[in-house]
Amino acid sequence: MHGWTGRMLHVDLGRGICRRDEIPEELLRAYLGGRGLGVRMMREFFRLDPFDPEIPLIFAVGPLCGTPAPTSARLSVVTRSPLTGTIYDCSAGGRFAWRMKASGIDLLVITGQSAQPVRLEIADDRAELHPAGELWGKGVRESVAALKECGSVAAIGPAGENGVLFANIMMGEGNSVGRGGLGAVMGKKRLKAITVNGTGKTTLADPERFDAARGDVLRLFRASPVLFGELGIGEYGTPALVDLMAQRRMAPTRNFTGTFFPEAGNYSGPAIRAACGAKKDGCYGCPIQCKKSSDQGEPLPEYETVNHFGALNDISDLHAIVKANSLCNDLGMDTISAAATLAAFGEALGRFPRAEEVEGLLERTALVQGEGTLLAKGSLRVARELGHPELSMTVKGLELPAYDPRGAYGMALAYVTSNRGGCHLRAYPISHEILRKPVPTDRFSFSGKARIIKIAEDVNAAVDSLVACKFAFFGATLEEYGELLSAATGIEYTPETLKSIGERICLTERFYNCENGFSMADDLLPERFFSEPGSSGEGIDIPPIDRARFEEERRKYYRIRGLNDDGSFPDANFLERCP
Amino acid sequence: MKDQIAKYTAKLGADRSALPGAIAFAAQDDLLITDGAPQLAELAGATLSRLNALALVAARPALPFAELLIARAGADETGIVPQDTETRTFLHDIPFLRQKDLAEDAPGRIARLLSHRKGIIVEGVGIVAVGAITVEQAYINYSSVFHATFVKYLQDVLRDGFRVPGEEAALELLRRDWLKPLTDDGLAFVPELSDDREEILAEVERVGRYTVERGLVDSFFGNISARAGELIYISQTAASLDELAGCIDPVPTDNSSTTGITASSELLAHRKIYEATGARVILHGHPKFAVIMSMICEKQGCSIRDCWKECPEVRHLDATPVVAGEIGAGGLAKRVPPVIGATGGAVVYGHGVFTIGDAGFGAAFSLMVAVENYCREEYFRRLDGRR
Ligand code: SF4
Ligand SMILES: [Zn+2]
Repeated sequence: MHGWTGRMLHVDLGRGICRRDEIPEELLRAYLGGRGLGVRMMREFFRLDPFDPEIPLIFAVGPLCGTPAPTSARLSVVTRSPLTGTIYDCSAGGRFAWRMKASGIDLLVITGQSAQPVRLEIADDRAELHPAGELWGKGVRESVAALKECGSVAAIGPAGENGVLFANIMMGEGNSVGRGGLGAVMGKKRLKAITVNGTGKTTLADPERFDAARGDVLRLFRASPVLFGELGIGEYGTPALVDLMAQRRMAPTRNFTGTFFPEAGNYSGPAIRAACGAKKDGCYGCPIQCKKSSDQGEPLPEYETVNHFGALNDISDLHAIVKANSLCNDLGMDTISAAATLAAFGEALGRFPRAEEVEGLLERTALVQGEGTLLAKGSLRVARELGHPELSMTVKGLELPAYDPRGAYGMALAYVTSNRGGCHLRAYPISHEILRKPVPTDRFSFSGKARIIKIAEDVNAAVDSLVACKFAFFGATLEEYGELLSAATGIEYTPETLKSIGERICLTERFYNCENGFSMADDLLPERFFSEPGSSGEGIDIPPIDRARFEEERRKYYRIRGLNDDGSFPDANFLERCP
Repeated sequence: MKDQIAKYTAKLGADRSALPGAIAFAAQDDLLITDGAPQLAELAGATLSRLNALALVAARPALPFAELLIARAGADETGIVPQDTETRTFLHDIPFLRQKDLAEDAPGRIARLLSHRKGIIVEGVGIVAVGAITVEQAYINYSSVFHATFVKYLQDVLRDGFRVPGEEAALELLRRDWLKPLTDDGLAFVPELSDDREEILAEVERVGRYTVERGLVDSFFGNISARAGELIYISQTAASLDELAGCIDPVPTDNSSTTGITASSELLAHRKIYEATGARVILHGHPKFAVIMSMICEKQGCSIRDCWKECPEVRHLDATPVVAGEIGAGGLAKRVPPVIGATGGAVVYGHGVFTIGDAGFGAAFSLMVAVENYCREEYFRRLDGRR
């Protein structure tokens, strides 16, 4: 077999057993790896409560991982989210995925709950559980440092240990399995960390064809202003978007009461570079290197993070924002959800936190102390408990990222159709609505968006299963990645076959969610976006979203997806018909 | 979507890349719609319904070059590889279907090829191109295939002569009917641009329209900029040069803002050209004969194979220098700035022409016209000499 290893490691924490198995080849072909394979492996378990000891926590790499395919040293972590209750997958880069593949597995499935804190050590064929009591309670940085001899590290911080609903899993290199609270699932299992090391090589079916396709991808990267342009994310990281979102007047401000923050220039890409440096950093083997770190090697915040600890909380102090980012990374919390929860909390109390208060609030959240007991539950539950459910800017309980839907209507639709809640990355319409790739679309129009979102969801589900980075698709397309995949595995995949795999994955996720009680009533944006305007100005008008038009487009989306008009599943036997 | 279809049907007619009356679009939202020449429309609809995409165009090119390329191809060949850099970068290759492949399930066969390429040639039908997310994208892909086949066919004919019936007539059609005299007659330019933002935006917008109207670009790609003090006003990436209103980014020369992340992929080339020459304006288009002629090299025994990106020479078309270099962060940003100052123009191998002006766009525009006219004449001089 080329591309895949064809093997999985099952770790039962309750019984302390590690066992290697074959993965049926049919499943690999039909779901590729990453998100797709992980979601498929949840078929028998998706109804379990996210904190049920038996819920699987799945780490899945893809067929391109371990090859020189650009941006492919990534994996997906899949389980059911304690924050949203939906099926959930999260993609992360770094070096962990590549080393996990090198240890000879495509899948790591962790079930059960350990009686004591443990860590899992994988090195080639060896997989062992070790007591981790001495690491329990420690921050991510210290835990990673303690384990660095064992290879790449994925660890939770105090937030994951304490069940913070938006706790993340941090990769030792500073990348995070950020959203959805998967760190809390890991914490519930009392699994502090996983280390991986290996010497295996991923083989290619047709190295010559692979090289040609790789050359095509790199040429497209170089032709892409967003990636390799002098103002692109290769130079400035995602904070390159700060100036653009300000100019487009769609940067969520003060818990989405506005869409323009005059002080955003304090944390723009060039401002961060001037104040902190911007050393190029990034995932293993990736030519884009979009991550930036300070001269001291400290990972610097992404666009979402600077906006949410900045504008969303009415904070303009760059150093406080950088500090908040580092602190979240060390405590093991998703920066987007943490900041958005603070903003909802602030608006409900009538006062946003001051820059110097953020640190204490984050610490108490991770430790679930004081007001942190409430904050640890995320924006939706915070707003409800404070008697202001309308102030939670979430979809399906997931805090919205830093693209105001009033400034991009495809984004508005994509937030509600996303199977993991209010996420920008499922369909990523920012690519065409704002960044003009592959071609521009009118951001203030719903016309055609239902179809566009559906197609993009399918494409990205395939991308998440390869697993490649979304950013690669600012330059390349599935044409080139399909070629890479065919050359790697020796099995022919075209963009259309990949999209149909993506479609199968999206529908499977929706099916799980519907079975777990999700319905059209959950495919909704917070009321604010339909009744309050954004911050118009500079000739750009940001009115509230037209609800009727939004609902019409959502109905079109259901039809295009083959769902009933109310978004429910017409076919109770859908899963049986899938491989 | 109906208005989009009407708009791009009109464009295909106006840029004379397709025969009016032989153009059809299909597009799907929650419903599939088709429009245009009935038979083509039926084929377009049936094909698109098999694809996970939003739009599709099927049209008969105004020149038969695409089909002649099929006729000239060996029996075992299934596609052509475009030689020009832009299409090579974005399309890789262009598959084709012969009439005999279409005997049964033509839409199925076409859809299968379109499942991995943006545009294809179908004998007896024309060019079929798909738009993954917009109708405009289908139009762009059609235009790219048209441009690529135009360039490749004329290149091949100059090198190998006529090989199949109908080629003489096709060349006659090109010379007599299709090609119009290329001039800047009747165009008005601001002679000396001020630093006034509104004036610059209006002028860039207008000159963009001129380049499309006079056929100096393929589909509508190319880019335009003007410098004013510490700002470069440049057309955005994927912007239609004839519709630049709202699509011009002001980019500070000191990179103090990143709003220009949406600017043309040639921003770096423009910046370097300004630095090297002190020019006020830059124009960049893909006029077809300059693209063709830039790829003709007489050097014997050269060991370089990827001429379009590796060639280190500065060659000349008349007095205009020709250099190689990939688009974007690739290489032309390095090779064009040092040579463009001499005549105010430079040709990039297999790609297009850059011209500059010291005061306004008039000089840049007329130089681009002159370069293309020279290349057009030189092409036919050589072709006639060959016969
Ligand atoms: S673009 Fe950035 S996030 Fe994506 S793979 Fe490369 S370094 Fe990682
Ligand atoms: Zn060009």
